[in-house]
Amino acid sequence: MLMRHLRLIKRFAAVSIQNELAYSANAWISLLHSVLNLGTGVLGVMVLFSQVETIHGWDLPSTLALLGVYLILSALRGLFIGPSLESLAGMDGEVWTGQFDFTLLRPVDVQFLASFRHWRPFALLDLLLGLGVLGMAMAQLGGTMTAACLLAFAVTLGAGLMILYALLLAFAGLVFWSPGFLFTWVFDGLFQMARYPASLYPGWLRLVLTWIIPVGVMTTVPAQALTGDLSPGVLVGSVALAAAFLAGASAIFRGGLRRYASASS
Amino acid sequence: MNGTHIVVRDLSKTYRVPEREPGLAASLKGLVRRDYRDVEAVRGVSFTVEAGEIVGFIGPNGAGKTSTLKMLSGLLYPTAGESRVLGHVPWERRPGYLRRISMILGNKSQMVWDIPPLDTFHVLGEIYGVDPADLQRTLDELVELLEMQELLTKPVRNFSLGERMKCELVAGLLHRPDVLFLDEPTLGLDVSMQGRLRRFLAEYNQRNDVTVILTSHYMADVLALCPRVILIHHGQLLYDGDLGGLAERLAPFKLIRVTLRNGSPDGIPEGVDVIERENGRLTLRVGRAEAPALTAHLLDTLPVADLAVEDPPIEAVIDQIYQEGVA
Amino acid sequence: MSGRDLNLRGGWALVRRTWFSWMQHRGFFFLLAFSWMMPMLIYLFVWSQAAGGGAGGGAGGTIGGLTRSDLVTYYLVLILVNQLAFCTNNWTVGDGIRYGRMNFLLLRPMSPVYDALASEVAGKVVFMTFALPVTGVLALILRPELNVAWRDVGLFVPALALAWMLRFVWGYWLALLAFWATRADALLSLQESLIFLLAGQVAPPTLLPAPMQALATVLPFRYMLGFPVEVLLGQLDGAQLRAGFAFQTGWLAVAAALFVALWWAGTRRYTAVGG
Repeated sequence: MLMRHLRLIKRFAAVSIQNELAYSANAWISLLHSVLNLGTGVLGVMVLFSQVETIHGWDLPSTLALLGVYLILSALRGLFIGPSLESLAGMDGEVWTGQFDFTLLRPVDVQFLASFRHWRPFALLDLLLGLGVLGMAMAQLGGTMTAACLLAFAVTLGAGLMILYALLLAFAGLVFWSPGFLFTWVFDGLFQMARYPASLYPGWLRLVLTWIIPVGVMTTVPAQALTGDLSPGVLVGSVALAAAFLAGASAIFRGGLRRYASASS
Repeated sequence: MNGTHIVVRDLSKTYRVPEREPGLAASLKGLVRRDYRDVEAVRGVSFTVEAGEIVGFIGPNGAGKTSTLKMLSGLLYPTAGESRVLGHVPWERRPGYLRRISMILGNKSQMVWDIPPLDTFHVLGEIYGVDPADLQRTLDELVELLEMQELLTKPVRNFSLGERMKCELVAGLLHRPDVLFLDEPTLGLDVSMQGRLRRFLAEYNQRNDVTVILTSHYMADVLALCPRVILIHHGQLLYDGDLGGLAERLAPFKLIRVTLRNGSPDGIPEGVDVIERENGRLTLRVGRAEAPALTAHLLDTLPVADLAVEDPPIEAVIDQIYQEGVA
Repeated sequence: MSGRDLNLRGGWALVRRTWFSWMQHRGFFFLLAFSWMMPMLIYLFVWSQAAGGGAGGGAGGTIGGLTRSDLVTYYLVLILVNQLAFCTNNWTVGDGIRYGRMNFLLLRPMSPVYDALASEVAGKVVFMTFALPVTGVLALILRPELNVAWRDVGLFVPALALAWMLRFVWGYWLALLAFWATRADALLSLQESLIFLLAGQVAPPTLLPAPMQALATVLPFRYMLGFPVEVLLGQLDGAQLRAGFAFQTGWLAVAAALFVALWWAGTRRYTAVGG
C-alpha cells in the first residue's frame, strides 16, 4: 500500500517536472523570484538590526536563522503542498471549474491526491537558499551544535511542517462551503508573520500566533531548538499541537467532501 | 461478465437552493436569515440495466439526467432510494467500485494540458493500478481503433476538440471499466467526428461487453447507439424502452410528405393538419389509423408527383414532450 | 492624447458600472486589500517592539528619532496611503494589450486611459471600505499619539496626489511594454522587490542604512508611497521637503514622457501588426 502511494508520488512528480519544462522561460523567472525572495528577506532583517542590537533577546544572527527556517518551510510548501492544494482550491481551481468530479472518481484517497498531486521542482532552489541562510546564520552564532540540538531541530521542523500542511489543508477545505473565495490566500497573508520571532509581536497577537494560527510555532520553535533555547515542554507541546491540527484539518476537509457530494448539482 | 449490472430503486435527489431575490432590502435580510427552496431534481426513479446494454438517457435540461448519472457514479449522495451498481453502493465510493467504472464528461477534460497524452495515460494507469503490460495492450488497441497514433506525443494544448475527445475516450477506457457513464460526449464536435465517436462506442461495446449509459442532447447519438432509452422529465422517469416504441406510444401519428406536380393543393380533406407548405410540397400530419385511407385519397384526387409516409422524427416527439409533458 | 473627445457622461457611466461589478466581488477585493496590508502590519509590530525595547515595552526608547508611537502612526498611515495610491493598471492594461482587448477600447469614443481611471476610482472605494475600518480598529487598540501640524496636512494632499499620479503613469508605461514583450513577470517582480525595500515598507526611509537611503532618495519608488506619509508626519525638514517634491515631479515628468513615447510607438506597432 505504501509502495503504491510512493510510486504514485513518483509519477506525479515526473509529470509536474515535464509540465514545468514545457515553457523554458519558467526556469529563469523562477530563479529570479527565488533570488529576489532571498534578497528582500535578508535585507529586511538587516535593515531592522541596523538600528537596534537586540529585540526581546533576538539579535541579527538568530533572526537570520529564523528567516532561514522560514525559507525552508516556504520552499517545502512550494514544492508540493502549495501547488497541489492550490490546484484544488486556488484561482480557477478544480472545485470552481467542476473538474473536481474527475478527482472524486479516482480509486485513490482524495486527500492524498489533493496533497501530493502537483510538484514544483524549482522550489528545491528555494530550499537550498534557505539552507544556505540558515547555515551562515548558525556559523555566525558560533557555539556548539550538539546532536541533541539537531535532533530537536528536526523534530520541531517536522512538527512545523505538519502544522503548515494542516492549516493549508483546512483553508483549502473551506472551499467546499464557499467555492468562490480564495481561502488559501488568507493563509498566505498570515504565513508572512512567521518571518519574525513570535516574541516580536505584542502579547495578544503572540497568543493567537501560538494557539489559533500557529505560525509562531512553525518557525520560532525550530529556530529556538537550533540556538539551544528550547525547553522539552515546548518541544512536546509543538508535536502535540501538530497532531491536533492535523486531525482537525483532516476533519474539515472530509466534512467538506461530504458537503460537496450532497450539494453539487 | 453477465448479469444485472445496475439496479436503481426509487432514487431521489432534492437540492436545497438558497433563495436570492433582487434588491437591497432582500439582500440585507439575506445577511440575517437565509431562505431556502427545495428543488426536486430526481423523483423516485427506478430501473435496471443488464450487462453489456447501451442505454440512452434523454430529457430536457434540468430534467435530472446528470444528477442521476452522478449518483450512479458515486459523485452525489441521494436524498432517498437505493441503488447498486456492480454489486456496490455507488456513493460509498469504495476503491474496488471506482476501479470498475468510468465517466466521461463532454465539456470537461481530464488531460494534463502541456504534456503529451501518453504521459497522462501512464499516470492514470498508475492511479488505477493497471499492470503495465495490460496497459500497453489496451492503449495499443484503443489507439488503433481511434486512429490517433500521431497524437500520442504532442502536447494536448494544440489539439482540436475532436482530437481531445479521442484522448478523453482513451483516458476513460484504459483501465477496462465494466460500466461507462457518458455525459454529453458529442457536445461541440463536428458532424463527422460525432459519427466516428458513435461508431467507436458501438464497436467497443460489442467487443468488450461494457455497459454504457449515455446522456445526450443530440437525438442522432441516441438513434445511432441506444437500443433502449430512458426518458426523464421533471425528475421523473416517463418512459423506459426502445426508441421506436417511444414514438409510437407518445405520438400516435404519422407524417405524409406529398410533392405535387403543379402548385396548388386543394382537395385536402378537413381535419387534416398541414404542418408545412412550401413550393408544392406539403407535410401532413394524421393519426396512425387514418393514414392508409388518406394516402389512397390523396393519390386519387391530387396530381401527386411523390408521396412518402413517415414516422414523426424523434426530435419532434421529444420536443413536444419537453413542451407539453406526457399525456 | 489624440483629438478624441472625452465623453464625460460615458465616463461616469463607466465608473458606475465598474463600481457595481467590483462591489459584487468585494470578497475578492477585501482579500487583496488584506494581502497588501499584511507586510506593513508585520513591520508595524516589529518596529514598534524594537522601539519599545526592554521587557515592559513601555514608552521607552526611540529609533532614529522616532518613538514607538511615531512608528505605529507611520505604518497605519502607510497602509491607507498604499491603498489610496495603489494602481492595478500595470496588470489590467498589460493584459488588455496581450489578449487583444485593446481593439475594442481603441474603437470606443473614450480613450483607454479613461477606462483605467474608472477602474481606479471604483477600486479605491471598495478597498477603502476594508482598509479604513481595519486601521481604525488597530488605531483604537494601539493608541498611537497623533501630532500633526496643519501645515503638514496642507503639504500632504499634493504629495499624495502626486504619488498617485506617479504610480498611475509609471504603471501605465510599464504596462505598455506588453506591446513588445509577452511576459512582464520579471520586470514586475524586480519592481515589487525594490518598492518593498526602498519605498518605505521595510522601514521608514529615514531609518534605512545610508547606501539604501541614497538609492531611495533618487529612485521613484519612495515618492509613490513613503514620501507623502513622511510629509504628513512632519518627519522631513525644509530642505528634504523641497528635494522630495522636486524628485516627485521630476519622476512624474519622466514617466509621462515614457508613457507618450511608448503609446505612440506601441499603437503604431499594434495597428500595423493587425492586433
